[in-house]
Amino acid sequence: MKKIAAMLLGLAVMAMSVPAFAHFQMIYTPEAAMNKGGKIPVVLVFTHPFEAGHTMDMGKPEQFFVLRSRGENAPKKRDLLNTLKPITWQSLINSGKAWATTYSARGGDHAFCVIPEPYWEGGEGHYIKQNTKVIINVGGEPGAWMAPAGLPTEIVPLSKPYDRWTGNVFQGRVLCNGKAVPGAEIEIEYLNHKPLLDKNAFAEEANATAPQDAFVLQTIFADSNGVFTFGIPKAGWWGFAALDLDPSYKYKGKKCSRDAVMWIKAVDMK
Amino acid sequence: MKKVFLKMVLAAVLIFTASTGLAHTPLCSCYDNGDGTITCEGGFSDGSSAAGVALRVVEKSGKVLIKGKMDEDSEFTFERPSGPFKVQFDAGPGHVVEVEGKEISQ
Repeated sequence: MKKIAAMLLGLAVMAMSVPAFAHFQMIYTPEAAMNKGGKIPVVLVFTHPFEAGHTMDMGKPEQFFVLRSRGENAPKKRDLLNTLKPITWQSLINSGKAWATTYSARGGDHAFCVIPEPYWEGGEGHYIKQNTKVIINVGGEPGAWMAPAGLPTEIVPLSKPYDRWTGNVFQGRVLCNGKAVPGAEIEIEYLNHKPLLDKNAFAEEANATAPQDAFVLQTIFADSNGVFTFGIPKAGWWGFAALDLDPSYKYKGKKCSRDAVMWIKAVDMK
Repeated sequence: MKKVFLKMVLAAVLIFTASTGLAHTPLCSCYDNGDGTITCEGGFSDGSSAAGVALRVVEKSGKVLIKGKMDEDSEFTFERPSGPFKVQFDAGPGHVVEVEGKEISQ
């Protein structure tokens, strides 16, 4: 009896909590800073990363590409859309359609960018479109990580995104159509369950425990220049989602939240 | 007073040497293109260009097999030698990076 009550309570808590947790488009690869080049796995998953929670079905992205830059060389764009293979990603509570590819990385910066198909969020009665970017580096030679990739909505890093120690701050500027968004609202989540790429699933084990719901999804605002600052408390991947940057934006006649997402990985100083 | 001044000079020297040292850390990675050629990509940890930097492919004996310069994209492509070799990316004294041929893969 007690067990049933506990389960019901659990369900109720989950049901109440879901809308409060943010959706995060992920572009995931295990390492952000590699010593050597080679083939790396990349997966696209639309999920709730802190809880490894509800994972949404992704349609085929509108665009998926990489900008490779090294030293002072001009960035080179490579279309990766047709390299994507559909996969099913297992969260702790459901599974969702996702995408995977492998990529051959040589030296320098590689900025992976996805422009997803808008996702219909029935519970909230609007679409969500999270243009997402992840910048990784091979060999330590920097490229054009600080330059906008030209996405319609974008977070442009002001700190090198792959060289952050745990405890450093990360700064970024939020752009919409190339212009800074003053006071943009930014939600932040920690990738708390390790993605297991051999199983297309999140590990059950969590790295951190939130003492209360507010900690699952942190919220900050950009300043009047669209710049935000975040102190990184723990090693691992951190996602930043700047929300609803173009409030009048519509898709198929419905409201569509036009978001910009970026992920960075911090490393412990040992 | 004298001591403080000395300390300041020392600090200034340390800062100066440290920053120049870091800014010019040379980097070179080589990749097998899968068609019998190898491409070496050179650069510096501060992102500055390595165009024009010398690159040598040498035998174990020290004999130079191929001598070249990084192109405007800081790259140099050459045919993989049949025997053991290493690549020397030479950005000046104390700024040489060596890559062993057997470590070069696709």
